[in-house]
Amino acid sequence: MTLPPVQIDYSKLALLTRKRGTCSPVGLTKAQLLKIKDETDKYLEMKWKGLTKEEAAGYRNSYQKNICIDMLQHGYHKSFCEFFTLLKMWHALREAGGIRSIFWMQTPLEDLPEKLDQMYFFLTRAEDAELAGRYEEMYNNIFALARYFDNPDDKWLRDYFYGRCFKIGQLIKVDGGRKLAEAYANLGLLHEENGNFEEAVENYEAFSDMTEGRLWQDANGHLLNSIACENLRRIYTLLAEKMLKDKQYKQAIRTLLKACERAKQGGDKKMEGEAAFALGLAYHSTGESELARSALEIFSDISIALDDAVGLSRAYEAIAKVLASQGKPMEAVAYLEKVVEIAKNTDQKRRLVEACTLLGDIYNAKGFYTKACEFFKQAFDTTGEFRDIPLVDETKVHYGIAKAHQMMTTINKFIESSDYNSLNNLLTWKENRSEFFPEPTVDKSSDSKNEWPSRQLTPESDINSSSEDEEYNY
Amino acid sequence: MNEIYPLAVPKGRKLKCEVCEAPAERMCGACTVTFYCGVAHQRADWTSIHEKICQLLIPLRTTMPFYNSEEERKHGREQLVQRQKHLIELCYKVSQKYLFEGKHEESVPAALHSLRFRINVYGANSVQVVPAYLLLTEASIGLGQIVQAEEYLAQAQWIVLKATECSDEIQSLLHRNLGLLHTAKGNYEEARYHLANDIYHASCEYGTDNIRISAAYFLMANVFLHQKKMDVAGSLYTKVTDIWHTYLDQPIQNQLHAIKKPTDILAKELENDTGLDEPQESEAIHILETILEIREHTVEEKSQTTIKILKTVAMLHYLMMNLSKAHELALKAYLLSRELPNKEEFEALRELLSLIASKNPVTLKSAKFYNQTL
Repeated sequence: MTLPPVQIDYSKLALLTRKRGTCSPVGLTKAQLLKIKDETDKYLEMKWKGLTKEEAAGYRNSYQKNICIDMLQHGYHKSFCEFFTLLKMWHALREAGGIRSIFWMQTPLEDLPEKLDQMYFFLTRAEDAELAGRYEEMYNNIFALARYFDNPDDKWLRDYFYGRCFKIGQLIKVDGGRKLAEAYANLGLLHEENGNFEEAVENYEAFSDMTEGRLWQDANGHLLNSIACENLRRIYTLLAEKMLKDKQYKQAIRTLLKACERAKQGGDKKMEGEAAFALGLAYHSTGESELARSALEIFSDISIALDDAVGLSRAYEAIAKVLASQGKPMEAVAYLEKVVEIAKNTDQKRRLVEACTLLGDIYNAKGFYTKACEFFKQAFDTTGEFRDIPLVDETKVHYGIAKAHQMMTTINKFIESSDYNSLNNLLTWKENRSEFFPEPTVDKSSDSKNEWPSRQLTPESDINSSSEDEEYNY
Repeated sequence: MNEIYPLAVPKGRKLKCEVCEAPAERMCGACTVTFYCGVAHQRADWTSIHEKICQLLIPLRTTMPFYNSEEERKHGREQLVQRQKHLIELCYKVSQKYLFEGKHEESVPAALHSLRFRINVYGANSVQVVPAYLLLTEASIGLGQIVQAEEYLAQAQWIVLKATECSDEIQSLLHRNLGLLHTAKGNYEEARYHLANDIYHASCEYGTDNIRISAAYFLMANVFLHQKKMDVAGSLYTKVTDIWHTYLDQPIQNQLHAIKKPTDILAKELENDTGLDEPQESEAIHILETILEIREHTVEEKSQTTIKILKTVAMLHYLMMNLSKAHELALKAYLLSRELPNKEEFEALRELLSLIASKNPVTLKSAKFYNQTL
């Protein structure tokens, strides 16, 4: 069947040129003309080093379109689908997140050629590997992508690729489940970051079960199983913290015991110590002081064994708190003084402040105002070195209160005795407001008798400036 | 079937053949508004499209009756455009269907009609004309007239290039045809480039897993097959199968769901409906059966994929009420799936078989037989 000619609307100019017919010899059929045109195009392409049609289209199109087309052209249709969906997903996430979502601040994904390139590279390689059935290689490629997007802006991409890794991990059979185990660990990490601790626990437990008894090591030479245990310990501790906040003490302690168990299994002493420490704190908050103390002592022993001064100071401080709440202030004081010493040696300013404040508190409560003053002063001086205004204020107040207490007793005595001499003393003090009083020694002894009857070790007679050196040494 | 004499026609009025635009010598007796140069073209037109639109052409080609008011005239003009638009769609669909059935020759007159009406309504340089050109291109490629096809395509491409805004849908169609052309010419690299463009634009329009894209993937797979890249082609065929499987599985699951629910007498029985129009159905059959054939010839231990395509084709036939065919295919898949460790697929196929049997009294017996023996 012969077909009719194509109907073309020519502009006036075109009609004129056609009539003149200078360009093309008359009498050629359209087919011949087309052929001539093709040949001319080809010639120009070869000789003139111009742009081919594809290159021209490449410049005209957007970068993401070029990548998509390149993928498809080489048969990477799965990569294309994934790539395309991810780009769409970015916009969907942005819409879903509302006006406050962080995505509004970001440059759209399609305007970041570097990221697109990375995705192109790894996705296509992964697809190659998939076609050839080399799932391990596929896993590595997708995992590399997940690592690449490991920053706060692209968190959703990283999460997505970790999810993919997990699915691929399920396909890998030859390595005895190592990749799958790693994938579980990654998923656990995701859940942990998102605050889904229960799910994170499930994933980490799977990770630990799969690595148990295997000698797999990661790139840094750590055993995977011990990493699993460490993760589990951490997540159990976090869970327990949450429970403690909700006042579910029993459950928290049960979880922490699990954490301890895992820590022991992991075989890392430091980890074990940390677990014991958390357990000790939990016991402390439920009021089971003996258990708390034994747990904390485990931590302190481990810290000593590891030569970990910081850990030791933490342990001692916690023990001191337990003792104080048990009503054994003297033992607490002993521990706290050790803490002060360690903190001074290891230059831990904050711990020093904390320990000094605690010490001051104890002395203050028991009426040893001079001692209290001294420690509060130390705390206050230390806080001056870093710019934490609320902390400075707090220690300042503590210091002030102790100071006031210290003067209070003396002034009371003066007022109570109501003789001329005392009155004179009071007046002189009022005039110059100096810190120092002519202190009659008699008053002090009675004060200490009243307020601190349980005290046996310290000399009862007096604790004024002359005897302080002794106490310090003790 | 009346003969006319060109010399007897009033001066200035030229009657042209409907198909080739040569001076006409015959007229359709039924509508008396359509002319042909000879019996051959009249017959071709009649079998292709004229039979369906003969009466519809009369109001378009006779002069408009005289209306008294401007309002009526306006209404009359609007009605005319409406009718033309309707015809455009009709001719387009008919032509498309012929193409999918492989009847290229029949599709040409219908496509020509669509083109003509499009030019009338939208103007020769509008983007709306492109689909008609593309139909003609496809038909020409099918007929092996590459040069002719190129000419049509060049025209279409030029229109698209000139248009400032062109929808993704038309872009995708254009690139699909360019892909087809280059495949026919053996320029596989370029064919792949254009098909890639096609898939991209279609994805922008419909999303990546729409059944409308399956054709492009299918063509792409064919190109890879020609280039002897079996693994890529296989992966693409799987993709096409998956797309269709997901699409067809939906109504089937609905039906199964309805059966499992406690019977409600008032509830209407779900009817078999693919949700596709005729061209799409014939396209689906063409694509899926080709894949099935390829799979059966190249099968090596890949029974999983074979089962899937068998099942998909069976589902399609079932939804189109070709029950015996559906039964035959589903049974084949069922027997294959028995050897697989994965019992899920096996169950799904059994459900499908029972569903097919429930619609067809003839196969009901054999289905029971199989259910008993297994």
